[in-house]
Amino acid sequence: MYLIGNISIYLGIVISLYGIIANIVGVKKKSSKWIESARGAVLSLAFVASIASFLLLYLLGTSQFQYKYVASYTNESLSMAYKLTAFWAGNAGSLLLWAFLLALYATMVVFSKEKKNPMMPYVSSILMVNILFFFTVMALNSNPFEMTDKIPADGKGLNPMLQNPGMILHPVTLYMGYVGLAVPFAFGIAALILKRMDSEWIKLTRRWTLLAWLFLTLGNVIGGWWAYIELGWGGYWAWDPVENASFLPWLTVSAFLHSVMIQERKNMLKTWNVSLIILSFILTLFGTFLVRSGILTSVHAFGDNNLGTYFLVFMAFMMLFSLYIVMTRYGLIKKDSSPIEAYFSKESSFLLNNLILVAAAFAVFWGTMYPLISETFTGTKVNVGAPYFNKVMAPILLVLIVLMGICPLIAWQKAVFEKFMKNMLWPLAMGVATAIILFVFGVNGIYAIIGLSATSFMFGTHLQEFARGISARRKATKENILKAAFKLTVKNQRRYGGYIVHIGIAVIAVGVISSHTYSTEVLKTVDAGDSIKTGDYSLKFNKLTEHTKNGNGIVVADIDVMYKGKDIGKIKPEKIFYETWPEPSTEVAIKTNWSQDLYVVLSSWESKDKVTFMVKVNPFVSWIWMGGIIMVIGTAFALIGGRPTTFRHQINKGISRVGG
Amino acid sequence: MTTAFTYNSKEFRQIIGQLDMQGHADHELSTCSVKKIYYDEVVEMLNGGKSEPEIIQSYVDEYGQAALRTPGGGTSGWIAWGMPAAGVGIGSVIVGVWLRKLTVKKAESKLETKAAWNSEVEKEIAAKTFDEERRKLF
Repeated sequence: MYLIGNISIYLGIVISLYGIIANIVGVKKKSSKWIESARGAVLSLAFVASIASFLLLYLLGTSQFQYKYVASYTNESLSMAYKLTAFWAGNAGSLLLWAFLLALYATMVVFSKEKKNPMMPYVSSILMVNILFFFTVMALNSNPFEMTDKIPADGKGLNPMLQNPGMILHPVTLYMGYVGLAVPFAFGIAALILKRMDSEWIKLTRRWTLLAWLFLTLGNVIGGWWAYIELGWGGYWAWDPVENASFLPWLTVSAFLHSVMIQERKNMLKTWNVSLIILSFILTLFGTFLVRSGILTSVHAFGDNNLGTYFLVFMAFMMLFSLYIVMTRYGLIKKDSSPIEAYFSKESSFLLNNLILVAAAFAVFWGTMYPLISETFTGTKVNVGAPYFNKVMAPILLVLIVLMGICPLIAWQKAVFEKFMKNMLWPLAMGVATAIILFVFGVNGIYAIIGLSATSFMFGTHLQEFARGISARRKATKENILKAAFKLTVKNQRRYGGYIVHIGIAVIAVGVISSHTYSTEVLKTVDAGDSIKTGDYSLKFNKLTEHTKNGNGIVVADIDVMYKGKDIGKIKPEKIFYETWPEPSTEVAIKTNWSQDLYVVLSSWESKDKVTFMVKVNPFVSWIWMGGIIMVIGTAFALIGGRPTTFRHQINKGISRVGG
Repeated sequence: MTTAFTYNSKEFRQIIGQLDMQGHADHELSTCSVKKIYYDEVVEMLNGGKSEPEIIQSYVDEYGQAALRTPGGGTSGWIAWGMPAAGVGIGSVIVGVWLRKLTVKKAESKLETKAAWNSEVEKEIAAKTFDEERRKLF
């Protein structure tokens, strides 16, 4: 086993090197045999990465504690699901997962129907440079197949916080997002190397980019959900450096997904688009560097200074290499750009949207790195925590929501202001009506009301866009509403998929604004039989019981819950005392309905009859998860559909002829 | 007589929300001993008659600006808060200049008279529908 594991890692290095060299020789000699051989190398990489990965899974599943990694992250009593998910609990395993996913993606790319594309040798080389890096780091610094000096009787076990279903999904989805961005990055760089300045690379990678963005969205939302149910502080997003690191590429890829539409239609913003995708890829490396270097304090950190150095060097190399390629092709990129027809056009609004998204990314980056910057340059130690990000990001995200309400109403090329105003009337009325209703019902918090009204306006715009599309289709086909709605969406998946994503963001915004502003918290010590009252809830504490499960001690509080005077059942917050972990773990008890969550934490106890609870009422938190699901559905929808833009050009030309 | 402040007091929450508690601010109270010490200290100080600024200052005196969750005053604080705004400002200028450069001024452009559609959506949907019908027929 030891030999197989180590040989597959070293083979990974050798094959990546060979593949890169084969591609270089193939391109130089214009030899299809060499290029074919390099393609074989990619397939072999997927093979060796799979062997290493399945071997590690086997070692984890069978508790082979002679391996350091297995002994460090699992123990005998751990359930099989968590034994296997310990694969990505530590540095070495997560690096192997990264290499495995990257090798799989690379194989899918080089064996796709575009395999004969002249860009492919460059694309596969760039991907193999990445794979080479990960295998090298594993061989030199974090080998998942390293043996222990003395075989322990049992392992150290998995951090209790990681023993949650979120552990199965959050890291994998996030890695799939990170790794996925390597593909458009590789295509972008390949296009530049080949001096192919058209939008071919964008069309070829549209689905890859969307897929990566989908996984980043999913990873972030699941991460929030995990934090909410597992960490016990009642929130879902703490603006922790590592959370920020995963949010950064999400922001820049969001900008990219909008600005590529301009390049596809107008052949412009070429430098900007390639820069955005380079930035997004570098930010994925930056995120990984943050998690692994331990330079900033984070709940996610698996700090290892050496590993951080490897990532820093690789990140610098990729950055300089990309910069060199862009600079040497800058003159060519600038050629052949179409101009924008008018200031007031969708093109301009997309530029504005890009500005806001990149500004948001800059603000997050700045806040994340500022403690380091401040200490280095001014010698002053400062913290940049959640209150800073909330204050800085709130206005930026508000502008973004307003823009999302305005942009769909602006026409391409040149918009007519009167028509735009006419189209904006209903959404605007919806926003204003929301503000009035909230005031009338005595809702406090002016900023929250502004935010919720802006969200309502944005939602109204999208509702109207659907209604307008359905009506236009019905005019032309006389279909019934349902059929028209279905066909409209199916035939225009890219546009309406995007709109569904926007609606998902509106739903999330309601959840975030409401829970942030109107959440209440009570920390109270009660005797058995006594009640805690908060909002419309009344919680009666009955008793505290103890039992053991899988060798862990569990303390459970039994509570009856009344909502508006009606019995809605029991709630049972727990504390688990793990055999292998010094700190007990909190199991939050949550009762959810459509408008609020009752969130109860068993805080501490003096005796079985005197217990302290933290009780929170968090309004609309379930909307955040629902919005996340809507976003994923919308993205998947856009991913499946979407016609090439050449088709759009034909339509536009046809319409112009009809109109003229 | 001084009001007895507790963890649930508004004043307490106002103060505790500003403290970094040596990086433990987002930890769960019941499993974090450091956070618990801070909670008890702040309640004690409030009940001892100290005001919010005094309590905050006492922590800043002890730990420097690192006692707080956000950068405070001084050059470092100004840079921290000002930079995102500067970023947006500089970005706006760049986009403005860029847009100006990219935009072709067509004084005679009468594109709006050409468009016989009520909106861009209607135009595109109709075009696609026509195309579908055309393909069905031919």
